[in-house]
Amino acid sequence: MSFGWSLRRDLAVAMRRRADSLNLIGFFILACTMFPLAVGPQREWLQRIGPGVVWVAALLAVLLALPRLFEHDLGDGSLDLMLASDRSLAAIVGGKMTAAWLVSAAPLVLASPLMALAFALDGETSLLLALSLLIGTPILIAIGAVGASLTLGLRGAPTLITLLCLPLFVPALIFGAGAVEAHASGLSPWPHLALLTAGMLASLVLAPWLAALGLRVSSE
Amino acid sequence: MTAPVLVAEDLGVSRGERPLFRGLGFRLEPGRLLLLRGANGSGKSTLLRALLGLAPTDAGQLGWGAERFDPRSGQLRARAIYLGHASGMKAELPAARSLAFAAELDGSPHGEQALTAALARLGLGRRAGLACRQLSQGQRQRLALARLALASAAALPRPLWLLDEPQTALDTDGLALFEGLLADHLDRQGSAIIAAHGEIATGLGAVDTLDIGRFSARAARPVQATEADQP
Repeated sequence: MSFGWSLRRDLAVAMRRRADSLNLIGFFILACTMFPLAVGPQREWLQRIGPGVVWVAALLAVLLALPRLFEHDLGDGSLDLMLASDRSLAAIVGGKMTAAWLVSAAPLVLASPLMALAFALDGETSLLLALSLLIGTPILIAIGAVGASLTLGLRGAPTLITLLCLPLFVPALIFGAGAVEAHASGLSPWPHLALLTAGMLASLVLAPWLAALGLRVSSE
Repeated sequence: MTAPVLVAEDLGVSRGERPLFRGLGFRLEPGRLLLLRGANGSGKSTLLRALLGLAPTDAGQLGWGAERFDPRSGQLRARAIYLGHASGMKAELPAARSLAFAAELDGSPHGEQALTAALARLGLGRRAGLACRQLSQGQRQRLALARLALASAAALPRPLWLLDEPQTALDTDGLALFEGLLADHLDRQGSAIIAAHGEIATGLGAVDTLDIGRFSARAARPVQATEADQP
């Protein structure tokens, strides 16, 4: 019930702040298309860097969304309502993370095959890229939620979140982009995706508790 | 709904390195209101948060009826309705929707009828569809107080209200509405702790006052636990 409460609430708020989601997609698309313009139209080069570039752009787009995760709730006092309620804060945070994924990351996953076109990736590779993002972006949101909870209310929180979370995003980036890379070089992408899935499950189990703990500490 | 007696013993709270108060104690009987007084920065808001385990206490324990517990355990959360400085309402959502989410979290009724009644009671009947950001400061405060109206309509109302400067930005009518809500709550043997600066609830008889300044950790005299002033 607490999970559903915050999921419904954050989605209702996001429906009235659609510009936030659109800005993220805009950022993602522009960041991706800068690279073909910068390195030139050689097909092999683009295919080589494509998966990595799309992954990095998605990761940066998620980073842009993270500071907002708890900031507004802190500002309008609704975070206090959540902290002062007797419901499970971890479940509430879980709902908020799910809403954040649906609003901020899912559109990136959907837009990624389009971006694959810009890098001349074939159909199978671009689907694989979308799949790796589908599995990988929840990890980014989960780690980011913990980072956002710990830096909540601090001056320069967005920069701190970036410094705190980017290094922790590296494994997801390596296995996510690595899966597509492996496929391109004729190897099986499944070991990478299996590890990525394991990482996703572990972070989904741990992150709500850690972020709830972080919120309690930073709101004291 | 008779509220069990709430007892605080020997509470000590620091803010960062700086001790705010020491040895603070009070006893709150059902049907009574405890007014927290004290200068700015004396720790009125922090005390309210500390009772709920939102601000860390260095010492002391709470009693709720026969139970005794550490305030840090947050065991009062299930028994209390907390209203902080900020309204807790989402700026983007329509007033009724925002109130419904807050009430749902409190476990209060949040059906259409209950919402309409609560909004009407606070004089916001015609503002239900407006986004909270379009409401004035005072209207937003009334919306936050509508939470209390819904909370008292619950099948098992939470007996303890913890309110931080609830009269902020309210006009005379708003203040009267709030005092009406409070009087009903106390009549039903609920209890309340209110941090307040101005005059409040002057019409009510059952008011105790607790001056936090007396427990200030910076006071030169030795500090010891004392009971709240009886009127």
